[in-house]
Amino acid sequence: MVAQGIPEIGAYIAFLFVSTVALVIVLRLFITPKDPRPTPEKKKPFESGQIAAGPGRTRFIIQYYPYLLMFVVYDVVAMFLFAWGLNLRALGASGSVPVLVFIVVLLIPLGYALHLANHRENW
Amino acid sequence: MLTTGRTGRSLYWGLAPVLGPLQPLVDMLTSPLFLQIVLFPGLTSIAIIGALLGWLERKVTARVQLRIGPLYASPAGGILQMFADLIKLAFKELIVPENSDAFFFIMAPTTGLVLGAALVGLIPFAPGLQIANIEVGLPAFLAIITLSPTLILLAGWSANSKFPFIGGLRALFQQTAYEIPLWLSALGVIMMAGTMNLAQIVAAQSTGWFIIPQALGAFIFLVTSVAEMERLPFDLPEAESEIMMGWQAEYPGVLFLAAQGPGFVKLYAFSALFTTIFLGGFLGPSFLPPLFWMLSKTLTVIVLIMLLRSTFPRVRLDQLLRAGWTTLLTLAIINIGITYILVVGLPTL
Repeated sequence: MVAQGIPEIGAYIAFLFVSTVALVIVLRLFITPKDPRPTPEKKKPFESGQIAAGPGRTRFIIQYYPYLLMFVVYDVVAMFLFAWGLNLRALGASGSVPVLVFIVVLLIPLGYALHLANHRENW
Repeated sequence: MLTTGRTGRSLYWGLAPVLGPLQPLVDMLTSPLFLQIVLFPGLTSIAIIGALLGWLERKVTARVQLRIGPLYASPAGGILQMFADLIKLAFKELIVPENSDAFFFIMAPTTGLVLGAALVGLIPFAPGLQIANIEVGLPAFLAIITLSPTLILLAGWSANSKFPFIGGLRALFQQTAYEIPLWLSALGVIMMAGTMNLAQIVAAQSTGWFIIPQALGAFIFLVTSVAEMERLPFDLPEAESEIMMGWQAEYPGVLFLAAQGPGFVKLYAFSALFTTIFLGGFLGPSFLPPLFWMLSKTLTVIVLIMLLRSTFPRVRLDQLLRAGWTTLLTLAIINIGITYILVVGLPTL
């Protein structure tokens, strides 16, 4: 029964999406007021009352980049464990040995990567 | 058949050309699935509960800070305050900032609202009272919620403004810190229950709630889910006092509502999920209906998370990243080890 419940959640999300978008469109067209002659200042980005300076999409925070790299690798690894955890009772201790070796082998580079990532002055 | 009896039958034959083609529509509108989607646990109840949670949060925070909180819009204690705010925000002008990507600027919070409400459809509120009983319910819940930092980044990017963009990037970095401990703490429950189906996880707790063998996992799940909901003490993407609401800074009127709403809907959904996988879901003494137990446990978890909000100060981004990748991840792996010993070493549990 892999497909159990999939049509229901699909119908539910589709209903939510259509009703929410319809609500936004109705509000936009019929309820919210419109300014026929907006001043230029009204459309400016908000910077606590200062005049906005420079580009809005700036470059930012490179020093946390190694965490992103680690996330790309170890998030996928964590997914592998779900197949093992689901069948743990059937596998038992003997069937779990390859998975435990897999975890230990992955923890060593994780520790080294964390050691490098936590030294943010290097990035 | 619509009616019986003489007058009814003549009425029916009179209306038959009209009602005949509409009969499938009438059947659909009265089917249990449609009623669940529209009324409870679906759209209408989510909207009302979300607004009431906004009121409850203000009241709880006020009580902690020795204030009174919303008072005037009421039959009782300002309970209609959020509905008054809804009406006020709906009549405000929608200003889209210049050089912004208007489509994504509007669609990102709207889609976030849809995703938050979609989570509720996976939760079993009572036996049979569940919109979608998916075989992989628990990973599906966490997979849907994984999309939300991407939407926040999209909202921050499309606004073409500095503070929203900083908030969006913070959401992205914050996700790397909590995501893996969150999934691994859910893995402990799956190892105990031997299934990913939320209704079967509840059934597996009939001999004892999972919060007792999974106490460490429940703690990690609570902390990481608060980080996932971007609530204090982990509300870095919308930190009011440093980056002035972060990714929500440029949202006007009803779009601000769409940006704020997912927070309360996700609070409701995550508390219901915590109740389902750790606190026995709708199980409880049979002198009250299962729905009562489910909702009262959920409300308890909600108030606990609200008390966290008014108790703790905000953490810094580097503190959160370091704590997530070292402390929480280590605790999650230890929790998996404990669960492994419990399941394999004590198979009768």
